[in-house]
Amino acid sequence: MLISGLLVGLALGFVMQRGRFCVTGAFRDVWVTRNTRWLTAFLVVVAVQSVGIFALDAAGVITLQAEAFPWLATIVGGFIFGFAIVLAGGCATGTYYRAGEGLVGSWLALISYALFAAIMKTGPLTGFNTSMRSVTVEQSNFYSVLGISPWLLVAVLVAAVALAVRHHLAKPKFAMAALPASKTGLAHLLFEKPWNAFATAVVIGLIATVAWPLSWATGREDGLGITTPSSKLVSYLVTGDAELVDWGVYLVIGILLGSFIAAKGSGEFRVRVPDAATAVKSLGGGALMGIGAALAGGCTIGNAMVQTAQFTFQGWTALVFMILGTGVAAKLTIMNRRPAPAAAPRIPVGV
Amino acid sequence: MAQVTLETNGSVCPFPLVEAKEAMTTLTSGDELVIHFDCTQATDAIPRWAAESGYPVTDFSKRGPAEWSITVQKA
Repeated sequence: MLISGLLVGLALGFVMQRGRFCVTGAFRDVWVTRNTRWLTAFLVVVAVQSVGIFALDAAGVITLQAEAFPWLATIVGGFIFGFAIVLAGGCATGTYYRAGEGLVGSWLALISYALFAAIMKTGPLTGFNTSMRSVTVEQSNFYSVLGISPWLLVAVLVAAVALAVRHHLAKPKFAMAALPASKTGLAHLLFEKPWNAFATAVVIGLIATVAWPLSWATGREDGLGITTPSSKLVSYLVTGDAELVDWGVYLVIGILLGSFIAAKGSGEFRVRVPDAATAVKSLGGGALMGIGAALAGGCTIGNAMVQTAQFTFQGWTALVFMILGTGVAAKLTIMNRRPAPAAAPRIPVGV
Repeated sequence: MAQVTLETNGSVCPFPLVEAKEAMTTLTSGDELVIHFDCTQATDAIPRWAAESGYPVTDFSKRGPAEWSITVQKA
């Protein structure tokens, strides 16, 4: 049932838009504001999904596979991808959901990202991508190398993430200004109320878990993924080969539609055209995202959220290098950005 | 006591917040900064920054589809 991909995508796009779930922001905040609130929320998704998929694996619903670790491509690609998402103003899913909010800059980034992913996966750069990804080590994940049960790692991850969440929730309560409510009941909850970051993360973790058996049932033996489906969508559009339209392609179309529904329903949709500089950054960032994600074997979802939940070396290496790439780009484009010409002299402020 | 308006419509996150922080440093205590923005994530990021910095928010409203205004007072 390919249509289940569309439904999962709809749910994911909706929840990400309403929850303001931005992985780029999560990685960026670590450097720019030294805040780990959203990174913690991101790791909640990984932890929830990790429990879910090892349970599904134990139950025989899915079978997690071990593949050789393409360390070189993962390091290089992860870093490029992390750098690129700052330029593009969103990671792959972030770009899909912002495109659904009507941001033309994200439309440009999305088209460029999908095109370059296709160029790397099935186009003229396939040889380069394949040779980079052929530099591998056989060991693929932490638990097989350590010779321990994956459940031990699941327990450690869940405990560490629980402590981090407790740290953030234990912060002194402050009253945060809120917009006046204009809706009531379910409409208020779905289309108006600000969603808690950690609650949003749990919901995304559950969606990511459910994605596995649903995708598996259609013959696509994987969880959430964005880059390969985006590449296949481009290939389908230019070849008309309907064989390419798998569960993942429905998923990414669903994300776009789900975020559009969420944004439209909450009065947050408007076609917004960026200035020239932002447009160029979006296009360039999108291209580098496609190249980086293809090399690394996935984006912030496929690698940093889905591979990590399986405790693969590829997933965690990609996550670390994406955060590093994000840091370098944030340093160059946000923290060291030229001050506005008319601005008065500034004194440093603590954050 | 002065009121300064910062127009950030069209700039994507995190720039509305980055610019707001910069503008805030040029104000004196009691001044108000009116920030116009159209980046969805800032509906969370800006009031959170104001609350964490101890700046009162004297107005927070939606001006139209995907368009907001928030007034933060320097404390």
